[in-house]
Amino acid sequence: MSKWRLFGVYSLLFLMLAFAVSFGLIVFGNTSLRLDEAQSLFQTQRDIPGMLHLVAQDVHVPGYHILLHYWQLLFGQDIYIARIMSLVFFVGTIIMTYVLATYALGRRSIGLFAALLVTISPFMNWYGSEARMYTMLAFMTVLHTYFFVRILKQEGGGRWIFWTLTAILGVYTHYFFIFVLLSEFVSVILLRKKLHGEHAIRNVIIGGVIAGISLLPWLIYVYALGFASNTQPALAEPSAGDLFDTYAQFVFGFQVSAVNTLIISLWPIAVLLAFFALQRSKKEIPIAMTPFVLLATLPVLCAFLISVTIKPFFLSRYLIVALPTLFIFIAWLLTRYRRRIARTVGIILVLVIGVLFTVQAVSPNTPVKENYKDAVAYIDANAGSSDVVVLAAPFTIYPVEYYYKGLAKLTTQPIWDRFNAGSVPAYDPAKVAQETNENVDSYQHAFLMLSYDQGYNAKLKDYYDAHYQRIASHDFSPGLSVYEYKIRYDQPITVAE
Amino acid sequence: MEFLKSIQVSKFLLLLNVVLSVIYFYCIVAVFPIGNWSLFAVLVLSEAFHVWQVFGFIHTVWYRKREKKFDAHFQPHVAIFITVCGEPEGIIESTVIAAKAMNYPHFSIYILNDGKVANRSNWKEAEIIASKQNVTCITRTIPGGAKAGNINHASALTNEPYIVVFDADHTPKPEFLQETMGYFVDERVAFVQSPQFYKNADVNQVTGGAWEQQALFFGPLLKGKDSVNATFMCGTNMVLRRVALEEVGGMSEKSIAEDFLTSLLVHEKKWKSVYVDKVLAEGLAPEDFLSYYKQQFRWARGSLEILLSHNPLFRRGLTAAQRVQYLASSSYYVSGIIVLINALLPLAYFFFALKPLTINTMTLALIFLPYIFVILYTLQLTSNFTYTFRALSFSLGSSTIYMKALWHTIIRKNNGFAVTSKTKVSGNYGKLVLPHLIYIGLVIAGVAWGVVREGWSASMLSNIAWAFIYIAAFAPFISAAFEGSRKVSSSKNTKLKKMEAPA
Repeated sequence: MSKWRLFGVYSLLFLMLAFAVSFGLIVFGNTSLRLDEAQSLFQTQRDIPGMLHLVAQDVHVPGYHILLHYWQLLFGQDIYIARIMSLVFFVGTIIMTYVLATYALGRRSIGLFAALLVTISPFMNWYGSEARMYTMLAFMTVLHTYFFVRILKQEGGGRWIFWTLTAILGVYTHYFFIFVLLSEFVSVILLRKKLHGEHAIRNVIIGGVIAGISLLPWLIYVYALGFASNTQPALAEPSAGDLFDTYAQFVFGFQVSAVNTLIISLWPIAVLLAFFALQRSKKEIPIAMTPFVLLATLPVLCAFLISVTIKPFFLSRYLIVALPTLFIFIAWLLTRYRRRIARTVGIILVLVIGVLFTVQAVSPNTPVKENYKDAVAYIDANAGSSDVVVLAAPFTIYPVEYYYKGLAKLTTQPIWDRFNAGSVPAYDPAKVAQETNENVDSYQHAFLMLSYDQGYNAKLKDYYDAHYQRIASHDFSPGLSVYEYKIRYDQPITVAE
Repeated sequence: MEFLKSIQVSKFLLLLNVVLSVIYFYCIVAVFPIGNWSLFAVLVLSEAFHVWQVFGFIHTVWYRKREKKFDAHFQPHVAIFITVCGEPEGIIESTVIAAKAMNYPHFSIYILNDGKVANRSNWKEAEIIASKQNVTCITRTIPGGAKAGNINHASALTNEPYIVVFDADHTPKPEFLQETMGYFVDERVAFVQSPQFYKNADVNQVTGGAWEQQALFFGPLLKGKDSVNATFMCGTNMVLRRVALEEVGGMSEKSIAEDFLTSLLVHEKKWKSVYVDKVLAEGLAPEDFLSYYKQQFRWARGSLEILLSHNPLFRRGLTAAQRVQYLASSSYYVSGIIVLINALLPLAYFFFALKPLTINTMTLALIFLPYIFVILYTLQLTSNFTYTFRALSFSLGSSTIYMKALWHTIIRKNNGFAVTSKTKVSGNYGKLVLPHLIYIGLVIAGVAWGVVREGWSASMLSNIAWAFIYIAAFAPFISAAFEGSRKVSSSKNTKLKKMEAPA
């Protein structure tokens, strides 16, 4: 490749990174704190033992939290600062996607297009500015896969050591990293005949066991705490729609249901595209496509099947491990088309993603938006010391507390003492009257903030509507509303009287 | 030749095809809630047929090693039959010259001239060529039995123990006999078949489509059939053992697919067949849409006749694998009606909101997509990625031809044997794709109707996507039909663009 061509490639890559960084810092970084982020801050802004204790009661492993803890010690404790760490991993994912695709498939054009898809992915951008472990998980996956491809190609010294080390880091980033190891294990079994002299199956098992053993202390610690999960939201059993929705989200981001329906209902077109990709191409399918396809599908399918049969834990963000290889697969697939078709499909894809990226960023109806910032600002402006703010679900107290500087009392319903060990109390219809009384009886106004519906927000609102006079209501983002009720008509007794 | 490259597909993948198709079928039949019963019934029928096709395909490409004897020194006397029925002089002469140039010590060439009985004005040309090239011309004067009758007639007048049949347009390569005769050292081998390769595949859309369809058949399918001793004759580029042919009463004159039926009869008598996966002769694909249409109709009619009148399931003497193979090949042309059913389902939804299943479209996708992706991948893997969209288009587009053939077979309408034209017949054959054009019109009207009724619902969008797939698949077929009106060329001066020379 000529110097100028190489310069062009790196310039494009640089532009992608500049795009991701600028959007992350300017647009997404300034959005409201989200519930999960509030938890991250709550957990990491204390000493290590205290933090580990909290994380162990949550559904995550502590790798990200430890890193974020020290990141905040170094750079400060603002949410904006915390988000920058995710942005760093997002940028790392873009670079590593380019490196991985180019190395595995031998063509910079595939690497560039895959990196471009990652860069403009509304999904990646969303998590690239969220103070959670998801972009770190994506980065660890790509990095780890890079060493796995080295193993497949039998190139590079110490590949097994790096593969094992990144596996350890991966399992400490998220439990779902285990699906990455599973996908690689299946790949090795399928490709065993092509991996002469590598003892690949044996080594993958050994490396996987080492990674598993490394996680053992943490699992024992969690077990010792009794698996308490006081912040775990209730998840519904996923449907087939959720499965396809996950892929739609990976590519097109978080869209309103009408757009989502449009995207996923056109699934039969995938048959046509698959046929075009497979026809009359003399290009051999690279060995790395086996793990790429498995990484793009197996984690999602496994999570879906386990969620349907054992316990629901199907969340698209947990499955971010499938995203980079999905984009590499798409970029490679286009090379199988005739040049004209490939260009057309590629341009259409980028344009559609671009439009939906904008929609996701701009639209207040984007389903994942959690505008606690404005909701709390509204309460700050309207609630006084004789008022009360009631939050449901109870764990939404974390993001509210982050912004709240007002005088009104904050409480939750169901009433939750989060400083006592134990899980969030479940909604009990028999206790609604008593708890409502307890919460609001002695106040002038109650501000009922409903978000993160755990299945009872509507019932709670109905109860308040039936017993108190609603004097205002505001929707701040999808599923986040504040209702103001007049509770008492007598004036509070003041000292002057 | 890419289409002849052997790719040994993992048995796990092949089994996965069967498993996924059975799961899909089971879900359709027994799991998903039923909507409209009539649509459900036809859907089940069509899906049952698809499962059968998958099973037949997997059975065909399942790798089995077959030991075949071959002795290059086995060089008995051979009669070369070049069947002629009014083809242009140049084409016949090229074939005769190529046949004469074959590297083999003992053979006699006969031009089997059916031009006279077919009332072709140029029938005497064959005799002139024979005289010029110093070969024998056998001109029939009493008609009957079409091509099979022509071969039987010449067979009675000759006595060489082996007979090679070439269509007038199939020019053999010098090594044809060297590569085929050695298999007859096994005394139970009745015939040896080699691929039909179309050297004019690049000439236009029709030749391209016809060839790409053929590539799948002469690639993995015939190789698979060969592995279970179920290769059947393909009318040309084949060598026959006279004794075996005589044992079944010569080439069968009962069917317009005489080669297919004769093969069945030969296999019933426990004879063996061999497929040589090397291009040993080069022929011509039909160059115009009408000729293609007639060729497809003849093949479909002949095969369906065998399915209905000589059903391999009920014939004695065939092995189980041979039964499966003959049934798979003859039932292929039933797919015409299946394509119609599948293509009409979206219309039923657009106009009447009728669905065979009342299932969430995404749940259907969950079952369907893995099934179809694995099948497509396996299909391409086995054919060395040579199965093109145009081949798919011609197969789906030909569904109207297959349906017509099915209907004619059911009502036992007598269709004569029509020799595929070796030259281009100019014209606009839009009327042959009228059903496809009507379908497109109905889809457009149906979408408008459906959207007015219920808006852009998920079901509506999925059905639009399905209809779009059918339209996209019909498009190259329709385009080929109109090609004649866009590009008129001289019928006899068609320049053949040579394809990649066979290895």
